[in-house]
This record gives sequence, structure tokens and C-alpha cells, in this order.
Amino acid sequence: MSSRTTAGRATDRDTTETAAASGPAAALAAAWIQNCFTPTDSRPLAFVRIGTGAVALLLWWSYAADLQAWFGPAGVLPIDTVRQWRSPAAWSLFDWATTPLLVNVLFGGLGLVFVLLFVGLGTPVVAPLAAVLWASLLHRGPMLAGPADDCLSILLWCLAIGPAGEHFSIDRWLADRAGRPAPVLSNRAGIAQGLLQVHAAVIAAAAVLAQLKGDAWWNGLAAWYLAAGPQSRASGLMPLLADSEYLTNLFTHGITLFEILFAVGLWYAPTQHLVARVGLVGWPLLGLLAGEPLWGLTLALLALPCASQRRFPA
Amino acid sequence: MKTRSFATVSAPTETPAARPLSERTRAVVSVALAVYLLGLLLTIVGNTGSGSSAVVRTVKGRLFAPWMVPPWLDLGFDYRLTYGMDDDADHSLEVRRQGAPNAAAVRLPGRLTGERAARWRRLARAMAAVDDADRDGLLAAAVGRGMFDELGAEDLIVSIVRTPLADRDGPPRSPATAYSARIRLVGGDVQLIRSEDRSELAPLVRPAAGAATEASR
Repeated sequence: MSSRTTAGRATDRDTTETAAASGPAAALAAAWIQNCFTPTDSRPLAFVRIGTGAVALLLWWSYAADLQAWFGPAGVLPIDTVRQWRSPAAWSLFDWATTPLLVNVLFGGLGLVFVLLFVGLGTPVVAPLAAVLWASLLHRGPMLAGPADDCLSILLWCLAIGPAGEHFSIDRWLADRAGRPAPVLSNRAGIAQGLLQVHAAVIAAAAVLAQLKGDAWWNGLAAWYLAAGPQSRASGLMPLLADSEYLTNLFTHGITLFEILFAVGLWYAPTQHLVARVGLVGWPLLGLLAGEPLWGLTLALLALPCASQRRFPA
Repeated sequence: MKTRSFATVSAPTETPAARPLSERTRAVVSVALAVYLLGLLLTIVGNTGSGSSAVVRTVKGRLFAPWMVPPWLDLGFDYRLTYGMDDDADHSLEVRRQGAPNAAAVRLPGRLTGERAARWRRLARAMAAVDDADRDGLLAAAVGRGMFDELGAEDLIVSIVRTPLADRDGPPRSPATAYSARIRLVGGDVQLIRSEDRSELAPLVRPAAGAATEASR
């Protein structure tokens, strides 16, 4: 574990010895402590911040042209209708935007916050603000939200927990100019990256469980339907898939296998790096095939910390 | 030129570590994380396409939804991608003036592409897939009302057109109307008249002469 200091390695050794001495419950506790409370380099979190900012701006932009058509006072999704549609526990800052100007101001503010997150200026304030404003936008029109929006929300909350602006940011540049000391391995970075790891595995597991309830994932034709979908960026594969049923089946079962190996492999030291790095390529490719390229990118971002450093030595 | 791998860049050996968290802080953070992870498990179990049990619904709804819904964390992540069924087909929204079949219609997403088009498709799919009586017609009425100015009329037909996915072996299937309703403004109130698909109606039964004779015995 090259990213950790002598103190970190001592923590690892102590927890491992405790685990060996006291059985499975203690082993679980030790693993918990090691995964959550080992000070960690926040550089991977900075990469996640930059990628998340870029994806967030693309998703934000997808609302821009139709903003008034959806959420304006004369739009097709009036607040009263949306309140009846969504969960009673939901609320949105956009509910109070009852004029076109207020809708534009709030939406423009969200765009500005995403730009600041991308460049890393005022990150400790900007990251939680981005998460709150993004959730507000989604609650204003929940029927418009897709899988990329969900995963972006998870990424933003994880960035709000960790010190995502300590590296590769304007915050860092300003701190260097002011002569402040370099960042240390951070406890909050460990927690944030642990949560990214948990969500990467959980999302892959939940997706594969949902898929396996459908016949198309058992009879091997799902890859064909994905390529034939209205948003797919892989319709060029269709002649190839039409020619060979075996190839279609291999694609389908390959996707299932990839998702299972990803969900499980993230938790074992020997496989963690490998599956995370395969995920950096595999999720965006699956996103293209499924017509959800930004969803694929968000899942790759969730896997990024595990691809750059080992997080859970089993 | 000497190059460094990403792993090397992200894992310097000389970086000093922050002071370890105190036992008390660890305990508080552990409890918070454990509660969140329990909530995460319940949101996944409670938000599947297969429905959820009453106990999961109640526990999640009373204890977790109040603080997991507002930050958009009450998510099932049931990304099935496709089952190759009607729900996965291309859905589009079509709005035109009532009684003017040749008049220009608004079609969305039409030629739009990317995530913007995907959002219109999701709206259309949500309108077509309503299985909750409280929500039935809610979106169609809102969309119709929002289009009155655009189309310069207060009596519109709002339809969802479903273009099925191409079968791998069979012939291409033609688009069909998955939902249709007439939306009009009457005395300041929006009125929705749902158009039933003829294929969903029972055929009119006219007993044949022979059958009538048989029955009369």
C-alpha cells in the first residue's frame, strides 16, 4: 500500500492482528476501520472531481434549451402537477421559482457552481452546494431524470464529504501562492473514497439483479435490443449481431459477467485494481451500447479511486 | 523522457498523514455510515421494478425516506438497460389540434439527440406507463395545458407513439399509439378524455343464428 505512511501501515498491522486474534466479528470490524479510517491520498478524489464537474456540465446543459418549456410558469410540468407526482418527502428550491427570471437565475447558478467544481475553486462550499442544487433540479422534474442523473447525485455527495479540492485545483494554486503547507493524507478522503467504492459495487450488483429478471438477459438477446434501442450509439453493431446469434449471446453474457465480476472483484485485493481499471473502459462502452453514455462515465468515475490505489486489502 | 504511471502519481510515498481520528469520532462516523448503508440497502430493496413488501415500504417510508428523498439518495439503481419489451421501445410525444388531423403537430423528441432527447423520451414513457390511478392522466393534462399557447388552440390530442424495437429475426413492427387523450379547456378547467385503444375493448357479441337455436333448446 504505497499510498500510506508508516502510521497508516501500523494501523493496518494492528487491525490485522486484532482480527486474527478475535474471529470473524473482529475481522469485520478491522476491515471496517481499515477501509473507512485509514488516512488516504486525496489526489484520486481530485480526478473524480474534475470528471464529475465535466459530466455535470453536460447533464446540466441537456436541460438548458427546454428549461422554460418544462419548468417555466407556462411549461408542461407545472409545480402543482409535479408535487402530486413525486414523493411527499421531496422538495426543490425550484418550487419557489415562479417566474421565468427566477428559473433562469437558479439554473444559471447551478451551472456556475458546476464550473467552480470543475476548476476547484471554493470546493469545500461548492461541492455540497452542487449536490443540493442538483437534487433540487431533479426533484423539480423527476420524470425527466435518468440513470446518469442518479449516479451524478451520488458522486456529488461523496465529493461533498471528501477534500476534493486539495489537488489539481485553483484552491491548491491559491494555497501554494499563499505559502500554505501541502495537503496531508486525509481521513475524510478515506471515507469519501470508501463510499465511492461501496456505491460502485452496489450499483453494479443492483443493475445485474434487475437485468436477470428479464428473459432477454437469459436467452442472450439483450445485446441486440440494446444496439437496436433508440439512443444506442452502437447501432453499427446490428448487422454483425444479426449475422451471428452466438456473437449476440456472447455480448449479452459478457455484460452480465462483467457486472458481476466488477461488483464482487472490487472487494478483493488481488482483483481490485484489475476490475476497477477494466471498469474505466467497460462502463463507458456499456453506456454507449445502452444509449446512456453519461451513465457509463459516472460509473467509471465511481471506480476511479479503486483503479488508482488499493483501498481494501482483503 | 521519464514517464510515471497513474498509480505512481496518485500514491506518493512521502506524504505525511493526518492525525488519526479519535475513538469517539470514529464511533460517531461509524454509526452514521452504518445507518446510511442500511438506508442504501432498503432503498435498493424498496425501489425494484418488482415492487416491495409492506414491511420494507413502511420502514423505509417512515425512517429513511424523510432524509434520503430530499438529497436524491432514495434510489433503487435497478438499471435493467433492456428487457426487449414494449417498455423499452422508443416513446415519443405527439400533440396536435383536435379535429385537425392534417394540422402541424408538435413531435418530441423529434430530431433532437443526446441527453436532451432522452429526457423527452422519459417524459413520454412516464405518461404511457402509468399504472397508478392517482397519477393517471396527470402528466397528459399538464402537457396538454402547457401546449395550448404553442398550438394556438384549447382543444388538443396528446398521444404517446411507441416504436417497437426491431426483432432480430422477425419483420420490423410499425409504430403504435400507446396512450392518447383529448385535453381541452372548458370554463377555465382542464378536461381530459382518455381515448381507449380499440384492441383493448371487448368485441360486440352478436350470436349467430345456429348458436341462438342451440341456446334455446
